[in-house]
Amino acid sequence: MTATLSKKTVGAQPMSIKALFTAFFTTKAKAIILPSVGIVCFLLFWSLAASSIDTSLGKFPGPSAVATQISNLIDEHNTEREKETAFYIRQEQRNQARMAKDPSYEPKTRAYTGKETFLDQIITSLLTVLSGFLLAAIIAIPLGIAIGLSKNLNMAINPIIQIFKPVSPLAWLPLVTMVVSAVYVSPEPLFAKSFINSLITVTLCSIWPMVINTSFGVASMNQDWVNVSKVLSLPKLVHIQKIVIPASIPAIFTGMRMSLGVAWMVLIAAEMLAQNPGLGKFVWDEFQNGSSQSLSRIMTAVIVIGLIGFMLDRTMLQLQKKLSWDKSSAQR
Amino acid sequence: MLKVPLESHCKRICQAVIVATCMSASMLTTPLHATELGYPEKEELTFGFIKLTDMAPIAIAYEKGFFEEEGLYVTIEAQANWKVLLDGVIDGRLDGAHMLAGQPIAATIGYGTKAEIITPFSMDLNGNAITVSNEIWAQMKGNIPKQADGKPVHPIKADALKPVVEKYLDAGKPFNMGMVFPVSTHNYELRYWLAAGNIHPGFYAPHKGDTSGKIDAQALLSVTPPPQMPATMEAGTIYGYCVGEPWNQQAVFKGIGVPVVTDYEIWKNNPEKVFGITKAFADKYPNTTIRLTRALIRAAKWLDDNNNANRPEAVKILSQSNYVGADYDVIANSMTGTFEYEKGDKRSVPDFNVFFRYNATYPYYSDAVWYLTQMRRWGQISEDKPDSWYKDIAAKVYRPDIYMKAAQSLVDEKILSKSDFADLANEDGYREPQKHFIDNIVYDGTTPNAYINKFKIGLKAGDKL
Amino acid sequence: MSIILDISKVDMVFPTPKGDFTALKGVDLQIKKGEFISLIGHSGCGKSTVLNIVACLHKATKGGVLLNNKEVTEPGPERAVVFQNHSLLPWLSCYENIELAVKRVFKNEMTPAQMTQWIEHNLNLVHMDHAKDKRPDEISGGMKQRIGIARALAMKPKVLLMDEPFGALDALTRAHMQDSLMEIQQKLNNTVIMITHDVDEAVLLSDRIVMMTNGPAATIGEILDVNLPHPRDRLALAEDPEYNRLRSEVLTFLYEKQRKVEAIATPTKKQKQSDVA
Repeated sequence: MTATLSKKTVGAQPMSIKALFTAFFTTKAKAIILPSVGIVCFLLFWSLAASSIDTSLGKFPGPSAVATQISNLIDEHNTEREKETAFYIRQEQRNQARMAKDPSYEPKTRAYTGKETFLDQIITSLLTVLSGFLLAAIIAIPLGIAIGLSKNLNMAINPIIQIFKPVSPLAWLPLVTMVVSAVYVSPEPLFAKSFINSLITVTLCSIWPMVINTSFGVASMNQDWVNVSKVLSLPKLVHIQKIVIPASIPAIFTGMRMSLGVAWMVLIAAEMLAQNPGLGKFVWDEFQNGSSQSLSRIMTAVIVIGLIGFMLDRTMLQLQKKLSWDKSSAQR
Repeated sequence: MLKVPLESHCKRICQAVIVATCMSASMLTTPLHATELGYPEKEELTFGFIKLTDMAPIAIAYEKGFFEEEGLYVTIEAQANWKVLLDGVIDGRLDGAHMLAGQPIAATIGYGTKAEIITPFSMDLNGNAITVSNEIWAQMKGNIPKQADGKPVHPIKADALKPVVEKYLDAGKPFNMGMVFPVSTHNYELRYWLAAGNIHPGFYAPHKGDTSGKIDAQALLSVTPPPQMPATMEAGTIYGYCVGEPWNQQAVFKGIGVPVVTDYEIWKNNPEKVFGITKAFADKYPNTTIRLTRALIRAAKWLDDNNNANRPEAVKILSQSNYVGADYDVIANSMTGTFEYEKGDKRSVPDFNVFFRYNATYPYYSDAVWYLTQMRRWGQISEDKPDSWYKDIAAKVYRPDIYMKAAQSLVDEKILSKSDFADLANEDGYREPQKHFIDNIVYDGTTPNAYINKFKIGLKAGDKL
Repeated sequence: MSIILDISKVDMVFPTPKGDFTALKGVDLQIKKGEFISLIGHSGCGKSTVLNIVACLHKATKGGVLLNNKEVTEPGPERAVVFQNHSLLPWLSCYENIELAVKRVFKNEMTPAQMTQWIEHNLNLVHMDHAKDKRPDEISGGMKQRIGIARALAMKPKVLLMDEPFGALDALTRAHMQDSLMEIQQKLNNTVIMITHDVDEAVLLSDRIVMMTNGPAATIGEILDVNLPHPRDRLALAEDPEYNRLRSEVLTFLYEKQRKVEAIATPTKKQKQSDVA
């Protein structure tokens, strides 16, 4: 018995190692190795191609130029933070001096006026895209549900959606800018006009995929669930809350992911065109500067924009996995 | 011919005597305890600029803490183009900006967006140049006389370009050139240079709705934002352009073009940019207006101090990505008193950028009048106007009164010395007749209509398109 | 026994792009309290339409339905439906699916504790108490249908409507479900209308089998009384001559009298019919 067993194990050992190896290679490792191979190939191709492209601003930036710029940009950020601290100290001293002279003076602290660093621009862009996207969602999802529920409303609104959906943000921007500056007048504005401009442009462009997907999700909801609701004679609001919204969650999320992608692309373009603070402005400013570092800084921004776009999409996907009952819709 | 200048001289002398008496009296009787300048009414300000080296006074006032010392907390923002910048000032997004001298004037007379913009501070003299592409340079080089060392004789006149333009026109190819804005110094300088070489740059006819400025044109001028000039020329859309620094030197560094003439050579010590604010702003915040003017005067002085000793530091600041952002070497070329024409042909132009010398910061009425004469010459002002109209407009837009208050308080507080502004005590706002133009035509700001009539190409008194 | 449900001279006409299509013509049926009725017929004959009209998910073109002598116009939980595809809400657990119904129907009559007890009672009834916290996609088809039945039963309906409840199940599971249904029916004695394709299922479960003619203008062809004693046992009945007689009566009706000849020849028409049904 023991003999046969050991014989079996001995015989089986090379097999199992090979099997293990194959199994290992086909599953987990594949998920790590293949993308790594892809990235390494891309980096090689990139640095080779970069060194053979000459522009009037010098060679096209390769991976190492980008790496240098990343550390430059971080250094600049730290320097700027030091300047900021000094600024507040100077301001405090000036306030003290004025108070000593004029005791009735109420000192104010004014925000730092220095330049926005690359990291600041990233944060600005992220805040803008998320605000614009949230605003779009707040409008688009209820609207999409209403359109999905009512065939008449759908027929009334659908042409408008179809017309506005393909409009580029660049076309909206001048109108938005003019309207905002005419309408948004306040002596102590809570948000900067440039922020409002970017936000509304993002909203206008990212609203459509959400409206379309939500209304599609609602309209193509499983008829059986509608019948369940009818048999239970659920009141309209409970019907929407308990049946319609959960049922269309997968479609809503698909729309939201598309919208967030659109929002991010639109924002960068809008920032470039309108010179509104953010990564787009960073790219445009560098392009205008035309210094020997400009191209590598722009390339750095391109990569960061891509990474953030990817991150936003992954975050949305995780959220979808967490909140949606339909796991299969969240697999891509 | 002689009568007009004589008359104005008499008047000027009378005015000067009065001003001088008042000034010296005030300086003597109210030395330090003069009504002290109040705190700024508005402290947080946003100023716009275009990426050009002549924005330097704003950057220096910020970096050297001159704004802060006035209690002003200033944010400085680069703008995409001159139109965006002007709209920003008009709609209040920007409190003030680095402007083309023509912009406040055009806005006030309603050419383009109508708005009351004033300027208490002139930012610099000179600083522009005209650059042509390598292809054009190769064709015009043969038409230029040579010095003993084989280099071209300067200044290069447009006469050398004339055969090239004609060749293009004969071949049915439009000869396109770039300038930065319809009311920019660059537009007028380029037109001046071309017209002096018998190349017609075209008329405007706004009363007919034609604001393209291409009527009768041999060279077609179109608008391109300054930082995009080199790229646009590289793309072949334009054959040459007139722009401020560093965009001419950039063309040399990139090897895509050759600067042929600086505006210093077209009109020695010509006024360039101004600092523009709305009249409403100046009325509402008088102390802020004076204080920002003070800071800018100090910055301009710092830039020219000790024979440009601070310029290398200034270049370092300007090369930061949030200001001009071009490479140090490119900016340094012109800012430190040299100018590179054809690659390797570096010549000394110590006054290429003047920020403070020769009363560069004082807003002369005669400068405003010169821009108005050019607007009339090229049809942007479509009808004849009396000399008095030119004067009135100049007095509306250019505000030496604010400048003088700022200068006076700087002297009172012993921040600057009286000698820094010595000549201004007697100033009536009109410069002596200026002779140093490339075509040797003399300009006297007190007689604009007579001046317009002197040009061979251009609208004259009585002309209407 | 009194008549609880009266389906009175129902016509059903669907408008289609090619003109009106008469699905049902003069369907007339009275059902007594506690009676188990099977509706059988070829697919596309309008069985589901009849059921939907009773549930008020469709509105009859002519005629109407009386429940306890009152005409029904709206869907409601007193006519609970067990759908062919279980129709559980996939974002709710089994327990929550039933809870949604119970909360809606008994919100004024039961305390939360009573509701909990009632839900668990019904889960127990269909032997699904072990899976109450599972989501529908985590359990098998048969289990889903048990939950669907539990949900319908939990509404305490006056009439229970079942639309081919076991049609999508494999044969073994179906047999289990049928046994379970008989066991429940034994306890509760509900009034039931069940649609089925399955002759054995009809004979095994029903008190009466209503056989429908083929469409268009389908109507009730014959009604067969099933007088087999309860509780019924499928193994014992296999040998029972009465059972076999009933079975062959239904088969004769379906495959001789109402033989579907054109089923393959004109698929478009069949398509259309099944669409509307």
